[in-house]
Amino acid sequence: MQRVSHTLLNMDDASMSSKPCLHTATWMPSETVARLRAAHDASAPGLGAERAIHYTNFYKTSREPSAALKKAQALADHLARRSIQIADGEMFAGHHTEHRIGAICYAELAGVVMLEDIFRFETRATNPLHVDPASRRELLLSVIPYWLPRNLAAKAFPVSKVVRNVREQLKADQFIIPETGGIAHFVPDYPEVLAQGTDGLRARIEAALENPSLNADQRNQLKANLIALEGLEVFSDRYRQLAEAQGRDDLVAVLNQVPRRPAENLHQALQMLWLFQMVIQIESLDQGVSLGRMDQYLYPLYCKEVADGTFDADAFRDLFCGFCLKLSEVIPLFSDRLTEMFAGLPIGQAITLGGLNADGEDASNDLTFLLLDVIDQFKTRQPNWHARISAKSDPAYTTRVFEVIGRGGGSPAVFNDEVIMATLGQRFDAPDRLWDYATIGCVELGIAGASCTSSDAALFNYARILESVLGSDRTVKNIGSMDDLVAALETELRDQVAFLKENLDAIETSSRVHHPVPFSSLTVEGCIEQARDFTAGGARFNASGIQAVGLADLANSLAAIETLVFERGEIGLLELAKACRNDFTDHPGLKARMIGAEKFGNDKARVDQIANQLMALFDEVISENVNTRGGRWMAGIYSMTCHRSMGRKMGALPSGRGAGAPLADGIAPVDGSDCLGPTASLNSVAHLNAYNFPNGINLNLKFDANTVKGKAGTALLQGLVKGYFRQGGMQVQINVLDPAVLLAARENPDAHRNLLVRISGYSAYFVDLSPEMQDEIIARTLQAA
Amino acid sequence: MDTSLHAPVFDVQRFSIHDGPGIRTTVFFKGCNLACAWCQNPESQDVHPVVSFYQNRCEHDFSCADVCPADAILRDGFRVDHDRCTLCLKCVEACPNDALKLIGEELGPEQVFEQVLADEAYYQSSGGGVTFSGGEPTLYPAFIDTMLDLCNARGIHTTLETCGTFSQKRWASILPKLQLIYFDLKIIDDTHHKVLTGLGNQRILENARYLVAKGYPVEFRLPLVEGYTDFTDNLEQTAGFLKALGQDKIHLLSYHRMGEAKIDIINGDQPKIGLPTYPVQKLEDITDWFEQEGIVCV
Repeated sequence: MQRVSHTLLNMDDASMSSKPCLHTATWMPSETVARLRAAHDASAPGLGAERAIHYTNFYKTSREPSAALKKAQALADHLARRSIQIADGEMFAGHHTEHRIGAICYAELAGVVMLEDIFRFETRATNPLHVDPASRRELLLSVIPYWLPRNLAAKAFPVSKVVRNVREQLKADQFIIPETGGIAHFVPDYPEVLAQGTDGLRARIEAALENPSLNADQRNQLKANLIALEGLEVFSDRYRQLAEAQGRDDLVAVLNQVPRRPAENLHQALQMLWLFQMVIQIESLDQGVSLGRMDQYLYPLYCKEVADGTFDADAFRDLFCGFCLKLSEVIPLFSDRLTEMFAGLPIGQAITLGGLNADGEDASNDLTFLLLDVIDQFKTRQPNWHARISAKSDPAYTTRVFEVIGRGGGSPAVFNDEVIMATLGQRFDAPDRLWDYATIGCVELGIAGASCTSSDAALFNYARILESVLGSDRTVKNIGSMDDLVAALETELRDQVAFLKENLDAIETSSRVHHPVPFSSLTVEGCIEQARDFTAGGARFNASGIQAVGLADLANSLAAIETLVFERGEIGLLELAKACRNDFTDHPGLKARMIGAEKFGNDKARVDQIANQLMALFDEVISENVNTRGGRWMAGIYSMTCHRSMGRKMGALPSGRGAGAPLADGIAPVDGSDCLGPTASLNSVAHLNAYNFPNGINLNLKFDANTVKGKAGTALLQGLVKGYFRQGGMQVQINVLDPAVLLAARENPDAHRNLLVRISGYSAYFVDLSPEMQDEIIARTLQAA
Repeated sequence: MDTSLHAPVFDVQRFSIHDGPGIRTTVFFKGCNLACAWCQNPESQDVHPVVSFYQNRCEHDFSCADVCPADAILRDGFRVDHDRCTLCLKCVEACPNDALKLIGEELGPEQVFEQVLADEAYYQSSGGGVTFSGGEPTLYPAFIDTMLDLCNARGIHTTLETCGTFSQKRWASILPKLQLIYFDLKIIDDTHHKVLTGLGNQRILENARYLVAKGYPVEFRLPLVEGYTDFTDNLEQTAGFLKALGQDKIHLLSYHRMGEAKIDIINGDQPKIGLPTYPVQKLEDITDWFEQEGIVCV
């Protein structure tokens, strides 16, 4: 138990200049923070073209044969020339791009593909992006022509296959490979960075260079690490000089200490972290670069400040608001096509709170509570906040977590330590490190500071496997039982996974050969020691995360086939397959009968077991593969918004799902198919064996604001999630409803059949209410919101 | 199977969060010995099962009427004629849209207990349990007695919601097995009570005194129905009754319109009283008034 400071703080010590007023619900961000936020919100996002332009110019002229050195030099060159600014009142120096809020075009990775929208970025309705005319001209005349034949995907495949690969990627009906844009998705070893500073990291690299048995590639790798590290120092120095010129003594003082020397206070630590976040996300893809367990590794500095009497809880929370704004300045460059699959500008800089310490005891501390205050009062798009919970958790901590969740905004998502540690323990030989797992990106899991799990390597449309099987009359005619059907699914699954493997291997190889990441590598345990890049398996733990999309649709379809085709004999499989192909238009009554079959999410043993068996099969087939970095593939179940984009391109399914309808979101039951309330729905999910999805899951739960408000609401949420966790649930995130959802439910009741609302005195399904009553509830929710 | 303990159950509702502490499963029984004018569960009054009809789900394809052997589906009004209905349930099976449902099923305590166990983890994690509601659950002492033994053996918290009409003699050995009793005090004046609920309240008030005297964990509740239960005399008499019993707490239950929609669903003959949901302002005023009287409202 990290309760040092409680004792410190509770002491009636007159020498302590400022007593932190801990985890009070009354804390609000200061006026300074409000002004900073207003300026942030007023900044129009821009396309950060400088990186693409600088890299292009560098690559056009460089004759450097080593890819590692070339990438490091290009990075350092860019960091030395990138336009910089420090805006009024900013608490930290540095921006992700030359704009205050900006998206980077990683032209050499998948950025060129995103530029398919180069003429639409400014005018598009969703997520418009400013592009200045000079940049646009440069991108069109120089960047695109240079990288189109040379980008990561182009170099990954022989010319004959490039076109097919790009086409498949853009269609993304069977799978999509986000790793085509780079790997990222890792938790840098930030405790080490903060403790060493760049001086310490340099010393480690130089010591590694002393090893006489290094080969030429390894020497180049370590030299590339040094060049990249110096790139960060130069970048930081430029900001320090600018701060001096602007009379920002506060920032000058911070930048005089970091990044070269270890952070000595929390402000320096956060500035150091932001410098590293920036350079990691400038070097390679800005997806899932996660900050790990900040309440843990910042704790020693917190204790030091408390002991010195320099800690001020209000100032710290304000400072952290400023840090959240920095993280929110990073936005992805997605074309409209990608936005459909990954809507809402996801970046995935995750922060993990709570959890266990090395002794297996609760690790929550005063910083945990202070950061929960920030989540409570300062809602920003980034970071992704995640809270680890276990049977050992301090009740005050879990209560506060659910109080914050109850107030809306969907943060923090909660993660079950017992289940996750056991699951990761099955895949990684690291019994001494499991307690220190952290979340990556949206929902993924990894051992902090030492992993390259490429957790978002690919999303795989599992439901489409059935569509393919049913698409062939010849195959269907040979299916006479459920066993035959499962065998046919497995054959198709193996074929498609083999095709995915071929593609993913080529992408990984291209990353390793052409796009090493010498800067990111020096922040991950194992890379310096082995003088091997992150992209080449340098991290201590390696894997690739492959997500199943549409598990519930597939399970529902199999359950419906089992009941109506093989048990009741109401319809032949071939006839059903044909009905699906024409979206049930020739069989109007059939669709309703298929919908009437048992559905996943109602705590019904049979269909839940089918889902479990399907996931076990998926994991078995996925886990047989080893990536080019020596890491085994791991299954996960989340869909971002691919369940919509993939569903849109699919025909009808035997579950009764119509053509083009969305697939189930992540691990959740199909929208509207779980009719027995949240406990039944959570039981179905919890009964799935978590060992089959070590990469993580996403489960979204929705509640209306009236059900979860106040202390009773907090207790209710906590009881619900703990019951789910006790039965093996891995993760959940709770959305407190938005009146807009109620309005949507009124228009489209079938899609919202599980929406529970509070009536005075009890709860009811919204769709079972009369229109007048629905209007009343909507009005009331509007009031509560 | 021994069916002597069976009782008509119309719903086993999971994730009940307003019928006692924590996350609960509420077992709703059919049949009631009162007939309150404002009854909010009209489908529970009659002890017999009934086919209900959800108009909002109906797509008017008449697959129900086509299969009905008793001609009990009224094609013009889309209603079920309960006098003709033989409960063969062919219409329920035939409807592709789930617009017809059977309300009420004879179940044994073990069957219901098995359903209740599905959420045991949540009872433990939230301090919840099982609630017996209705209808009037005290019509089924043998069923509840058995279920209480099953629940107590596993440490599952139990709550009884009653209108207070039970027989002391029959319930004397069962009441001590309950962890919480919600007891409705609707109207204190006997005549008013009889007019509005169909039954006088002497036994109810006597039972209330009995539970308090025995020291059972009872909490009293007052349904607030505009013009029916919230008139000044009744509030004053209720407060007086509670004080005489040494009680300092009351649950105020606001009337809502859900019940009226259900009258249509079961094609019931209970007249609609046409009231809106109980006004928030009035609820606050009554809360203040009780608190001035030294009675806490929850």
